Amino acid sequence: MQWEAFAREAVHGGLHNVLIMAGIIIPVMVILQIGRELNVLDRITVFVAPVLRLFGLSRQATFPLLVGVIFGIAYGAGVIIEAARSGEISWRDLFLVNLFLSACHAVIEDTALFIAIGADPWIILGGRFLLAVVLTYLVSRMGWLAARAPHAGAKPPG
Amino acid sequence: MLTAGTFKRGLHKGVSTTWELTKVVIPVYLVVTFLKYTPVLGWITGACAPVMRLFGLSGEAAVPLVLGNLLNLYAAVGAITTLDLSSREITILAIMLLISHNLLVESAVSGRTGVNALVMAFFRLGLAFLCGLVLNLVL
Repeated sequence: MQWEAFAREAVHGGLHNVLIMAGIIIPVMVILQIGRELNVLDRITVFVAPVLRLFGLSRQATFPLLVGVIFGIAYGAGVIIEAARSGEISWRDLFLVNLFLSACHAVIEDTALFIAIGADPWIILGGRFLLAVVLTYLVSRMGWLAARAPHAGAKPPG
Repeated sequence: MLTAGTFKRGLHKGVSTTWELTKVVIPVYLVVTFLKYTPVLGWITGACAPVMRLFGLSGEAAVPLVLGNLLNLYAAVGAITTLDLSSREITILAIMLLISHNLLVESAVSGRTGVNALVMAFFRLGLAFLCGLVLNLVL
């Protein structure tokens, strides 16, 4: 066991990587915060609602979806659980939102993390988005989903 | 309204995220680097190579894949940077991990929105494997 080589590689490599990631994460978080406080989401919601009608998603489902796509599942779920509790969103819409988010979420922070270590930005961002759109579209057209539609509103959480 | 406070809050979030990242990346980096200096990583690599080959990945890529799914992306990123992977491998790994990660925590969150948590976890894993297979063919 070459202890000296190990120590040098571990300390140097570990610190080096943290610095590179910090250089990406910190500006990204500042930009996300600016977006949050300028209520950019509300404006985008109006803009993309017609597109999401492709999936037959209601206007109320658009906002939780966008929050999840941009900020991540944990943050998006807070909004989704809140919306589900208020009974504004049908089970079908909630299912489609979860489906879309499973393929594509936290597109800014998580993507930045992997770009920092050398992944191809177009493939990891565009690929996931395309996958989510195709997947959600196909499932939204399936018969069994419509059959479950009368079961409106989600189960109360917990 | 944008104020100096906005930048301060953004900076604060950035620094605290970086700190969370550091707390996970450094230990993972230490452990995986240590394994590299022992025969253990070689054993893992050999055992996982046949499966990883389906995704165009070397056997050692199994380490970030497992860490990312059980723990989180920070752990996976820590492991990836320790290993000597090509940029093609990193892109394939990134897609697989971005679709399926932190399954214990995130599935529980999905479960709270009224969708079956176990179904969601297996669905994401399956989707990640499928994307790995496809990317290996098209890239």
